[in-house]
Amino acid sequence: MLLSEPVRALLWKEWREMTRNRGMLLSSTLLPITSLVLAPFSQLYALRSYLASGPPAELGPMVGLPGGSDPIDLLLRFLFPLYVMLAGLLVPSVGSTYSVVGERERRSLELLMILPVRVADILVAKLAAMLLLTAVVLLPLFALDAVVLIALDVASPGYVALLLLVLLASTAYSVTVALLLALLARDLRTANYLNGAMLGPLVPLVVAVLGVVPGDWGLVAVAALLLVAGGVALAISLRWLTFERYLG
Amino acid sequence: MTRPVAVGQASAVGSTPALAFEGVSKRYRNGVLALDDVSWAIARGARACLLGPNGAGKSTTIRLLQGALQPTRGRVTLLGAAVNGPAYLAARRKTGIVPQEPGMYRDVTTGEYLALARRLYGRGPADLARLVELFDLGDYLDQMLARLSGGYQRRVVLATALLGEPDLLLLDEPTVGLDPVAAHTVHAYLRGAMEGRTTLLCTHNLAEAEALCEQVVILRGGRVLVQSSLAALRAHAHPQVRLAARQGAPALLAALRRRGLAAEAVDEGAAVQVLVADPAADAPALLRGLLADGLDVYECCAVQVTLESLFLDLVRDADG
Repeated sequence: MLLSEPVRALLWKEWREMTRNRGMLLSSTLLPITSLVLAPFSQLYALRSYLASGPPAELGPMVGLPGGSDPIDLLLRFLFPLYVMLAGLLVPSVGSTYSVVGERERRSLELLMILPVRVADILVAKLAAMLLLTAVVLLPLFALDAVVLIALDVASPGYVALLLLVLLASTAYSVTVALLLALLARDLRTANYLNGAMLGPLVPLVVAVLGVVPGDWGLVAVAALLLVAGGVALAISLRWLTFERYLG
Repeated sequence: MTRPVAVGQASAVGSTPALAFEGVSKRYRNGVLALDDVSWAIARGARACLLGPNGAGKSTTIRLLQGALQPTRGRVTLLGAAVNGPAYLAARRKTGIVPQEPGMYRDVTTGEYLALARRLYGRGPADLARLVELFDLGDYLDQMLARLSGGYQRRVVLATALLGEPDLLLLDEPTVGLDPVAAHTVHAYLRGAMEGRTTLLCTHNLAEAEALCEQVVILRGGRVLVQSSLAALRAHAHPQVRLAARQGAPALLAALRRRGLAAEAVDEGAAVQVLVADPAADAPALLRGLLADGLDVYECCAVQVTLESLFLDLVRDADG
């Protein structure tokens, strides 16, 4: 078994708790629906309709981009990876704020501390619950993306596979940042600020990487960037995280 | 490093104390020194209360035993295992903890929480069913924990603490915040739960401590002020007789001083307390003398030395 018995027992409790919280479920579902379905598909539909209406007008040079780029290519190169990354970042961050920081703020963590468990078991269970929620919400939506992109012959299966890599890397980054938040944020408000501070700068950084690294290698570079940043966050968390720090 | 002296009689279960602090200091990151080189222990089978004014270090002590804090210096052991050491988790399975007013889950039912605790303690469904019946929780298993009354929330926590058939109970203010009826019920459960188990009761409620424990550890300013049995503390207390007369406290005090007795007014002048060598032997003669002086004495009784009075005297003495 991948998870120990204490972690599985705690994961079961986390899952029951998460799935009963309507506010969190709504946020965890609506944000990725917007990011993975509504926003990219509406833009794809608009661009395809525009292109189908007649020969494309000559696009002038765009700031920082090579002139005359195909709008669909630009959509695939910049916007789809950004939307996918945001979905991967947002779902775990909503879950972590509620589960990791909220539990401490509500002082219900005391009810776990009186049980014979290690702080690492508690956090691994919380992170596993977040990953489970993320998988349940994001994978069907991503599958829809993949089917549409391939069926419309907009993108190749290879491109879709790299998008999936970006999704997984951004989820991994978000989950490890959740661990850091457990150390740093004393309350939900601070957690939300810190979430913004840790996720916000990623957008311009990722756009820059996608602009600099040519072709599909840009997606590989973004995934690598997220995994390295997540690895650093994980290393810091595991080195520092104790009940004492978690309790504040 | 000083070796701790165990409070209470060591039982046949083992010679190692149930819990021990050996030269333990705890300084928080904000610089506050909560415990300053304390050494004390509780023998197996003993029922001890941990007392002290606010800021004395009681909560830090409980947190250290829970493994929620790491000592800055020294060693804390629980059932012979160093806290957060390799054998600590096994020791925790034999330790029941009742925390002080924990936050309650809004989205977890009583039954789910107890089932989680059962799995973590590695117990069978029958063990849980027995405790559910004992604490009369059967009708509340489907209710969210946060929706239970304070008394029933405390029952859930107490049932959880007993799930592992613990050798040791750590009770942190188990009745704080409860109304008198709920507190009375929880006391009844506590008496049953403490039967034959080593117990450390951390409380501000001195009547509760006196009713449930025989040993006492008093902390003051992060140091151990007293570590003794309650009986030994009482034996060292000065016996007193309480008197009240229709003429009032000043007249009584004057008459007592004429006899060379040390006395003081208590209860806002409603009565006086006078130090005597032996209340049973001295009070009758004292009463006859005061009546002969023309004082209408309507109350004369030996003062029961309470833990509260002992505690207040000790803390006052420590404050100089």
